[in-house]
Amino acid sequence: MRLRCVALRIVVAAAAACFAPAGVAQPPLGAPPSGPGYPQVYDPAMPFDARDIAGIWTPNVVGFGGGGRCRDCGDRGFSLEFPVFTPAGQAAFDANTPSYGRALGSADAQAHPEEHIGRRRAQPPALGNDLYQQCNPMGIPRAILYPDPEELVVLPDRILQHFQWGYGLRTIWMDGRPLPKSEEIDLARWWGYAVGRWDGNTLVVTSTGYDERTWIDHFGYPHSDRMVLEERYTRINYDTLELKMVLTDPAYYAQPWVAQTKRMHLIPGNFIQSSGWSGLIEDLCAPVDEVDTFNRLIRDPAGTGKPAEPPR
Amino acid sequence: MRRLVADLSLGAALLAATLPAAAHHGTLISYDRDKQWTREATVTSFHYANPHPQLFFDVVDDRGSAEHWSAEMLSNPSALLRLGWTKVRSVDALAPGKKINVTIAPSRAGGTVGLVLKITDQQGADLVSDTVSYPQPPNAAAQKP
Repeated sequence: MRLRCVALRIVVAAAAACFAPAGVAQPPLGAPPSGPGYPQVYDPAMPFDARDIAGIWTPNVVGFGGGGRCRDCGDRGFSLEFPVFTPAGQAAFDANTPSYGRALGSADAQAHPEEHIGRRRAQPPALGNDLYQQCNPMGIPRAILYPDPEELVVLPDRILQHFQWGYGLRTIWMDGRPLPKSEEIDLARWWGYAVGRWDGNTLVVTSTGYDERTWIDHFGYPHSDRMVLEERYTRINYDTLELKMVLTDPAYYAQPWVAQTKRMHLIPGNFIQSSGWSGLIEDLCAPVDEVDTFNRLIRDPAGTGKPAEPPR
Repeated sequence: MRRLVADLSLGAALLAATLPAAAHHGTLISYDRDKQWTREATVTSFHYANPHPQLFFDVVDDRGSAEHWSAEMLSNPSALLRLGWTKVRSVDALAPGKKINVTIAPSRAGGTVGLVLKITDQQGADLVSDTVSYPQPPNAAAQKP
């Protein structure tokens, strides 16, 4: 009964939490946020095992499939703090052209000097260079920041972090192996090299060796292949997994960069359904020519005003 | 448990009426919703695919000439699924030759390409509905989709 009441509250709460379409410089519409602001299926006050983190966790306001991140989950950016770049880091940052955030040079961007310029320099994707625009893997931590669910599959010697968008799979090794030194890694990975351990009731994941073509977040913050990321996951109640992160990358950042605290919420295994089939959706851009077609026929003409290019 | 799932379904249905999907692919910045327009159109094709479904259609311009448009939807297939617009249902609703009313935010850069804001049939019923409103998490203005 209690669960059912919570489930019903989802509707009102999530609806009330919503604002109107957010295009470029569009004013928000609708009621102010209220309620939990996420699909609160489970009573957070129920007893739980702090080290049991298996299941589907979502930072999404409606669970999955659009709608953005839930109100208490933190935003899609890594940090609200201003990063301190090295000269190489600044050059890498300047070379990235994202399509998220406030539009470059807009009145909206100029009205928010309290935000780092990384959040105020968006350009149409046709003019950008975000590899995600070709549906390449987002890597870590960007995939964690994406507003769709992930499933944590806990095995005896590893934890699999399975992301719905891109159907990406990251392995966190729990078998005691040491993390390789970044300078000794021959082949960087889109999903990096990661090891985990328990520190009390907090899962500490340390990782490195990421392909430096991935971005920290959708604002285009860069990282080198020497980046070491520490993630600290703590289940703070029955339905909430909290994540604190610190990025250390002396090649690009003059000091460690601390992330905004992020949260995800537990949803039942049958919450996501397609054709009566429950579990993560295979949310891929595949075959690859589908995204090429989208970019050629719509994204690029929309961003440039030029007619669609003929098929390659 | 069965009751819980039923309530969740009710919730999903109500949410469908109030909560749209979000564009995932960063293209919103390309369109000008202050210049949106609504016209009768004839579907030429519809692609139910990631990263965003795409609608191709013909409209008759002010001079009586046919004009071909290409447009993307805000949502992606997983969002449409959540809202009950399965692939079969969507493709059927937007089969080639179907007469629709379509509301478009045109490209800021010009041309005949835009963002689908709303589609209705000739009776005014929503089709492949992805009318979107976004939640407002902390600092949300900085993370417009």
